[in-house]
Amino acid sequence: MTSVFEDFEQGQRIGSGPRLAAALTPVAPAEYPERLQSFYRSSNAARLSPDLRYSLFQANGLKLPKQEQNAWIDIFSLYWTAIGEITRFSDAPSSASWVKVFNAWKDLVNMIIRGYTNFGLQAWTLPCLYVVGKYLRIFAMKADTELASQDSGFGDSFQDDITSEFEKSAKLEEAARIINRMFTLCLSDRAPIEESRKWGVYNTTNLLFKTYFKLNSVGLSKNLLRALNASSADLPDLEAFPKSDIVTFKYYIGVIHFLDENYAEAEQHLAYAWNMCHRNARKNRELILTYLIPCHLVTTHTLPSKTLLAPFPRLEHLYRPLSNCIMKGDLNGFDNAMSAGEEEFVKRRIYLPLERGRDIALRNLFRKVFIAGGFDEPKDGQPPVRRTRVPIAEFAAALRIGTHADDRSRVDIDEVECLLSNLIYKGLMKGYIARERGMVVLSKNNTAFPGTGV
Amino acid sequence: MSNSTQSNDKPESQQPQQQKPPVLEEDDEFEDFPVEDWPQEETEQASGSANGTSAHLWEESWDDDDAAEDFSKQLKEELKKVEASS
Repeated sequence: MTSVFEDFEQGQRIGSGPRLAAALTPVAPAEYPERLQSFYRSSNAARLSPDLRYSLFQANGLKLPKQEQNAWIDIFSLYWTAIGEITRFSDAPSSASWVKVFNAWKDLVNMIIRGYTNFGLQAWTLPCLYVVGKYLRIFAMKADTELASQDSGFGDSFQDDITSEFEKSAKLEEAARIINRMFTLCLSDRAPIEESRKWGVYNTTNLLFKTYFKLNSVGLSKNLLRALNASSADLPDLEAFPKSDIVTFKYYIGVIHFLDENYAEAEQHLAYAWNMCHRNARKNRELILTYLIPCHLVTTHTLPSKTLLAPFPRLEHLYRPLSNCIMKGDLNGFDNAMSAGEEEFVKRRIYLPLERGRDIALRNLFRKVFIAGGFDEPKDGQPPVRRTRVPIAEFAAALRIGTHADDRSRVDIDEVECLLSNLIYKGLMKGYIARERGMVVLSKNNTAFPGTGV
Repeated sequence: MSNSTQSNDKPESQQPQQQKPPVLEEDDEFEDFPVEDWPQEETEQASGSANGTSAHLWEESWDDDDAAEDFSKQLKEELKKVEASS
């Protein structure tokens, strides 16, 4: 049961950023549920400053440079005010408001930023910045939800959709601007790297990514990336940062490329995130795989194995039916699996790359035709060679199998040729169509279906 | 306040990519890790390589074990129908 003041004192004495940040965490630890109340009741608005000066410094004999000391007293004054708003939710619910919490917390965050720029707060205390930034975002989302629910109470439901769209996340937008200042605060620090706020770059970047994703403004993330790239020469290697920072960073970069349909690049970043991820972080591993699997399908045409998906029933459910149909070349099954999963695929923004799986399914179907064609008569002692001249009609017949065509449906040879030339164009099949002879002439020497061994 | 045309049946949307992408749900958010850093041995990569390589996690997209005989037979059946209809 440590108090806010004990965390502060210990953090300062041993120079531990996380311990110091614990003092500014607006959530009581499980073993001390009354911690926030007890901190709030330790003073009152009239005596706040002298009380804090006493509890933070005089009572324990902690000495800091004067301006730093004053900055901490100002910081904890604003923290006290914010905690007052937070404890209302348990002590006086009728007057509690997330908007008030957000506004009070925002003052605290601004003060902490000033602490770094003007009052000499040191880089080792950066976890304080992380924790107040993290809760700024959380309180902003709660405030927006609260405002939205009030609006719907007495607002007219015919108001302009555009306006409400904007106002819906007014507080989160505000939080994004402040977190952006936190990012700049870290990136622009010119102190020697050992004591530089540059170590806070990825933590604040990740917080900003999360905020932009929530705001549906993924495009803004690219400004961040440009800023990061421009300073990359001054930044330590990514590997020098804690893994929690880099795994999160790589995940978001991967998803950003993914949404831009740069699947090869997305795959690199997501694979890095996957490899470095803590093996017990189930939820995060599942999120990484959600995007890594479509990348693999597009770039290397590989599918997730049973082993890979076994720990993730949701992913197994999401991807297994599609994977099976791709393997079998079952086009009809593939289409059904796509429409069955459509809502989920669109929601997760993975519909587009998955759709490309249809080409792979078609390739596999046509590949079966090639294999079913067997071998040409071997010429004097040569090893047998697969029949590489395949009638288009055979592919048409395969298409009937793949689409579960019934006896009444007619085959359109033009359409078959179109599908064939599409596969050839995409490099999934190698050869050419000899239209006048109604034949496909496929490449010899196990290159007819590149990368698949035949 | 959606002003979507609810009188229509849900359209067979052929191009869902044209819809505005929905905001990711709360539970879709990448979580904070409970610890700041961890040794290489505790990474996914290390646990994967413990049982050999991580290659078994990804499979080729085609299946050669599939009953090739059946397919050949089926193909011949369908070929007759193609030839009959063209």
